[in-house]
Amino acid sequence: MTGANRTAGAGVSEGRIHGALGLEDQDRVPLPTRKGGGPDAPAPKNLDPKPIRDRMIDRMKKVDPKQSERYRQRTGE
Amino acid sequence: MKFLCGIETEFGLLIRDPEVKGASMIRQEELFRKVRDHLFRKKGSGLIDLHQRAYDEPPGNGGFLRNGGRLYVDMGHVEYAAPECGAILDLVAMDRAGDLLLTEALEELGLSGEVSFIKNNIDHQTLATFGSHENYSVPRSFPFNERGLDPLVVFLATRQIFAGAGRVGASYVNDVILPFPGESPAVSYQISQRADYVVNTFYQWVQMNRSIVNTRDEPLADPLQFRRIHLLLGDSNMSQFALGLKVGTTRLVLGLIERGESPQISLADPVATVRGLSHDLSMEWVVELSDGKTIGAVEIQEQFYEAAEKAFRGESDDTDWVLDSWREMLADLSKKDPALVADRVDWAQKLVLLNDFSREAGVGWEDPWMESLDLAYHDTNPATGLFYPLEEEGVHRRLVSPSAIRQALRDGPVGTRAQGRSLAIRKILDNPQIFDYIIQWFGVQVDEGEILYMLDPYRSYRQEVEEYFSRLSREKGPGKAGD
Repeated sequence: MTGANRTAGAGVSEGRIHGALGLEDQDRVPLPTRKGGGPDAPAPKNLDPKPIRDRMIDRMKKVDPKQSERYRQRTGE
Repeated sequence: MKFLCGIETEFGLLIRDPEVKGASMIRQEELFRKVRDHLFRKKGSGLIDLHQRAYDEPPGNGGFLRNGGRLYVDMGHVEYAAPECGAILDLVAMDRAGDLLLTEALEELGLSGEVSFIKNNIDHQTLATFGSHENYSVPRSFPFNERGLDPLVVFLATRQIFAGAGRVGASYVNDVILPFPGESPAVSYQISQRADYVVNTFYQWVQMNRSIVNTRDEPLADPLQFRRIHLLLGDSNMSQFALGLKVGTTRLVLGLIERGESPQISLADPVATVRGLSHDLSMEWVVELSDGKTIGAVEIQEQFYEAAEKAFRGESDDTDWVLDSWREMLADLSKKDPALVADRVDWAQKLVLLNDFSREAGVGWEDPWMESLDLAYHDTNPATGLFYPLEEEGVHRRLVSPSAIRQALRDGPVGTRAQGRSLAIRKILDNPQIFDYIIQWFGVQVDEGEILYMLDPYRSYRQEVEEYFSRLSREKGPGKAGD
């Protein structure tokens, strides 16, 4: 598995996976850069931010206001 | 400069049934066992440990996964340790594979309506904290002394401005141990989950007296060649971008220190700086240095960035991505508007969301609902969590695709020993005649035979694993080959 076959976003097809497990140790497909419209800047599916904002408000209203009172964890590391 | 990094994540578990409140710890332990047993004993996601790994890790407590990572129960938490990765995208995919593994296990067990795994580091009720630990491989020659660690502490104390996951409220539980000057003011929101729990600059233990730099020397590799830098102070990131930038910048700074090219600065009070920055939502982030001067955290980060730009530009595409993203991030942070970085930074994304909700619903920051929304941001169930829709809609940037994350459940990362470990695990899983094995980070043993050591984490050991199982096949018959 290599970096390139996990890229997401504009111009990167999920179907183009290049022989991941066949690569030798030194072979590494580079991380695309933002200059090339790389994976860290995917084109938003929804160009109007308003609907997603409204949907997020709706989703937040559905969160049980008391759920944090039930979230009691042991201390870890 | 070589990159090798792994992340360990301790998950919380949210039980939605209000009736379980009093017995939630017991119910949690039951659920952990169910999930673990489902993954290892029914689904074949990995190899359950057959041996006692440590005093608190008896046989059956957990095991190694097909991707070379590890899942186990540790201190009351399900913990996923991503395999060692040699590239930033690999690490991001492997980290998110852990979320997917656990979320799907709950679905398959019919429990996803009842419970969710929460990828955060605190609860708001008991003041408990749990970790997201970073591991970086450096040469044994790394200056693990004042000259090397002073600048590392400065970098780590200030990187939370882009790496913090944000939280509602504050915890002053550690003021019993380490009183801070002044009062303990009410905090509506802060940029880091772990900042309030860091009370030391350096310390070796991990559950109490947490420190900025953990000094435990446990390389899990050839100790003559390698040191493992183990960091406890980071937050669990939902944001792929924040995780990638966090580990990428940290590795560059470790590289600067290795080369003796790091800015030579130190803080007047590192622990107070960690907390003070986290509580400062003005984004002024003024820091006092050991020479008495003050400077902004963004300026400090710029000093590290400029040194890294000079030292590492052009070394690899990964490095150039980190440098470009770091520079852009610092420029945006200097404008003191969280909305400008909300597409890349967890604390800013969560703050924007919660501010929107507060205004829209007329709910104040003191309302427990805000704490519940804080948790919901870290809910790993895409049906109920607040973060994943933002990523899906392109509001928050991502680095890897869902299909790549799914692939990371199955295949180890290329070019590190996790690749060989993953191959060995697959061969054992595929061969029902192998009953006895020991898998460790640094080696594999089957049927009490020869131990295949993997002491160099930068090698894949793929060839050695193939030869190991071929020898096994020759000695004990074709069925033992795992082919």
